[in-house]
Amino acid sequence: MKRSQRAYERLARAFPHEFKLAHGEEMLETGEAVMGRLAKRGGWTGVARLLADAAMRLPFEYLAEMRRDLQFAMRALLKSPGFALVGILSMGLAIGLTTNVYSTNWALLTRPMRGVAHASRLVMAQKPVSYFYVERYREQKDVVAGVAAFQNAVPFNVRLPGQTDSKQQRIFGQLVSPDYFEVMGVDAERGRVLSPAMDRSGGAPAVVISDKFWRMRLGSRPDAVGLVLRINGQSVTIVGIAPRGFEGAFSVESAAELFVPVIAPASVAPELANDVLHRPNAREFLALALLAPNVTAAQAESALDGVTRRLDANDPSASPQTDKSRRVTLLPAGTRVPIPPELKQAIEGFFVVLMGIVIVIACMNLGTMLMARGANRRKEFAIRMSIGASRFRLARQLMSEGMLLSLLGGLLGFGLAYLLNVLNTQLHQAVDAPGIPDVAIDWRAAVFAFAAALVCGVALSVAPALRATKSELTPALKEGSAMQLPGHRRFGLRNLAMATQLAGSLMLLLITGFVLMGLARGYQVQTNFDPKTMAMASIDPVRDGETPEKALDLFAKLPQRLKDSNKFSRIALTTLPPFTAADEDNSEQWTVDDPRAAQKVQQPVVKESVGAGYFAALDEPLLNGREFNDADERSLMATAQGNTTRTLPVVLNETAAKKLFGNANAIGKHLKDGGVGYEVVGVVHDLRSGMGSHSAIAYVALSRDDFARPPAAGIIILTRAKTGVDGAAAIREVAYGLDPKLTPFHVETLSDQLALSRREMRSAMWNYGGIGAFGLILSAIGLAGVTAYAVAQRTREIGIRMALGAKKGQVLRLVLREGISLIAVGTLLGFAGAVLVSKALEAATSVFADALAMGTNDPRLLVGAPALLAALALLASYLPARAAVRIDPLKALRTE
Amino acid sequence: MIAKQTERFLPLKPQWFHILLALAGEEQHGYGIMQEVLERTMGKVRLWPATLYGSLKRMIEAGLIEESSKRPKPELDDARRRYYRLTSLGRRVLDAECERLQGLVHAIHTKRKMVTE
Repeated sequence: MKRSQRAYERLARAFPHEFKLAHGEEMLETGEAVMGRLAKRGGWTGVARLLADAAMRLPFEYLAEMRRDLQFAMRALLKSPGFALVGILSMGLAIGLTTNVYSTNWALLTRPMRGVAHASRLVMAQKPVSYFYVERYREQKDVVAGVAAFQNAVPFNVRLPGQTDSKQQRIFGQLVSPDYFEVMGVDAERGRVLSPAMDRSGGAPAVVISDKFWRMRLGSRPDAVGLVLRINGQSVTIVGIAPRGFEGAFSVESAAELFVPVIAPASVAPELANDVLHRPNAREFLALALLAPNVTAAQAESALDGVTRRLDANDPSASPQTDKSRRVTLLPAGTRVPIPPELKQAIEGFFVVLMGIVIVIACMNLGTMLMARGANRRKEFAIRMSIGASRFRLARQLMSEGMLLSLLGGLLGFGLAYLLNVLNTQLHQAVDAPGIPDVAIDWRAAVFAFAAALVCGVALSVAPALRATKSELTPALKEGSAMQLPGHRRFGLRNLAMATQLAGSLMLLLITGFVLMGLARGYQVQTNFDPKTMAMASIDPVRDGETPEKALDLFAKLPQRLKDSNKFSRIALTTLPPFTAADEDNSEQWTVDDPRAAQKVQQPVVKESVGAGYFAALDEPLLNGREFNDADERSLMATAQGNTTRTLPVVLNETAAKKLFGNANAIGKHLKDGGVGYEVVGVVHDLRSGMGSHSAIAYVALSRDDFARPPAAGIIILTRAKTGVDGAAAIREVAYGLDPKLTPFHVETLSDQLALSRREMRSAMWNYGGIGAFGLILSAIGLAGVTAYAVAQRTREIGIRMALGAKKGQVLRLVLREGISLIAVGTLLGFAGAVLVSKALEAATSVFADALAMGTNDPRLLVGAPALLAALALLASYLPARAAVRIDPLKALRTE
Repeated sequence: MIAKQTERFLPLKPQWFHILLALAGEEQHGYGIMQEVLERTMGKVRLWPATLYGSLKRMIEAGLIEESSKRPKPELDDARRRYYRLTSLGRRVLDAECERLQGLVHAIHTKRKMVTE
């Protein structure tokens, strides 16, 4: 009985202060009396109910108190709308921005693909393999439940029903094995998906279209299933529509709109020519595996690695058996981007750090502002304490104000995130950038950001609350807000807050600035001519329905026809638009072929195929040697396919030449790429400045393969038209004259093309620049709050000084001096932090390394950012100080 | 206007009804209310302390009851005790609730007649 009595007492004491004040004693007394009576009758169930009753009422009483607190806090905030507005804005911006950035970027990496039932068990081999290998992988039933093969970003020239040939569109899709949908666990929205049972080779060509294709290109026609499309000149029947949001595996590279089975004839997809499904060394497919239940990716990886090693033993073109490194690396493939776990961590880290800084700054803002307010309300608190409010009660009041601000800020933040999201989607749709998914707000992110802000908001309001309520009553009553606070001024909470705030904002500004500047420089392209004068058009005869032989013939005639038209001053063919960033992921290891060399020199090199006269067309004189000419091209054309004994000419860019041969003359030297031998015939400037300038590029001449099976971008015709000639029209005319079936696509000028890449830049600017600008806004808010607080505290002191004859200037100097020293400390800390974080990022991932390396040495940023912030901070100190010296000394001095 | 004010509280929560009923006669302190309710309902309804004082607090906030300044004779008084009495609003609400319950009882009678006849 004693024990239950103590338990009851403890419960009764745990009730909120207000409750205890009114009913505490009585409740104790009553409880004791009830318990005494119950004990006499041995009513144990009664005692249990008594305790349960108290325990259950406890949270309700606290909730009720909190509601009252919030009501009161609301009234208090309404009384100072300026303060409330600034607090809510700063919290709202932080939450909105964090949620938006998370939703668009991070979620993109981590959210499972839509419409895919088996997302968590999907893995993908990092390197492409042959279809033959995939069929062997499928036999490993103990580790994989299924393996599909696909080719990503496959271009199709598509004519929609009821359209003419000239209206053909180039649409990207995937070539997939018939079990592709089954492996991923994707069901059709309408019609059926492909299946091994229905889609056998020799059957009628079938295609599954994406929901986007159905909506955007077919206008959501209800009779879409069963329609016949002309794909690359062949009739193909639509058998089904994929679920909404499904854009194929690995869709970040290119959202697929068409899914064509690999059993389709080569006339539908030239990628399928040359018996690629059966040649063991045709490494052109990505393997997508569904792990068997309870099998880890690591187990599957080692099993498939073993299989690959055995198969490679029969293939002379595979890397030798002495090479012990892993041949198969499996990546999780249930998300849009299959990324290795290490990289995922690095990217996650980047976002968490960046967003963490944002939220912490916003919370610091709130904290300092609450502190300032607390100081100004000392008198109110003193009065309330003197009439019986406890310190805890007042602290709770301030905390609920912080909480209310966070809550309202959260609401604003959600609204903002939603708005940004809509804007973002519209922006991307306007640009029609490939691979941009329709990202919805990620509610988990929103809730997380909100919760973090709430916790921060409450936690940071505790310190100022305790501080504001820690005081001797009498002087506080007498002096109100003008009283000097106890504690070490130099290292006080307020100074710490201001310095950290400045440091955090500077860090944010610098890091985003580094990345932004790096990106900006990366996209700067210096051309030796007016890019508007270069007309470009792509053609792809094979996908226009011609045979590979006819295509070769067409390309043999095309340059001469263009020349004969007498409308162009320069003509060249190529496979990539000029000045595109080199895709370093596709680099190959090239070795210097020199038997006398003591050491084997091996470097990763990116290969680019260009035609004769390419550099002349770009007005890029070679540094050394010569570029490809018609003779090179003719002799290459004459070489039989698959003949690897010939030594081919190659032009290196400066970086490649330096990496492979140092400062020696590269001309005439020999190189090997796998089994192919090359001889260096020329060296050219790095075409790109900025990002990607570190890429070693080897330019090889366009070959039969390129013409017979043009790459995704087709074969690009670069022309510089003579003055007064419409280049685009002239190209169209020549193409039509050559073969009426040819439909040039991507007809544009070089400046259009460059603008496209600048658009990507602008999107990045939106993201990073937004965060940087946000840092600025926040720090301005915070600094203004902090200094206003500081000056409010010193009003009396300033009054005394003025009354004793201090000049306005002297007082201003006094106030500003403190501001300046804080600014200096904050700037130093911010610099150190920014350098540390950017170094860490650089080390963690190569994604930002280039951008950071470019941006970190920019003097505009290194001087500009701190100067801007310091000016802002000074202004924020100056304005309240000026207001303070204008106060009538008498008013400031008057004690009430 | 007044009707609306009382209407807001109906139907009354059982504990509130019991408390109002207990205070309808004379002013009481919390423990007294508890005892009276217990006796009146012959031990069926016990207002446990936390519920009782929580209800009292809310009823004061709602303006149904108020603290009374009258104290009993000093030899019976305990300084810790607070005494409560009905406000005019509380009285009206109690009346309205009683009327409502009477209406219910009436309805039950009519129904019963219809069943037995």
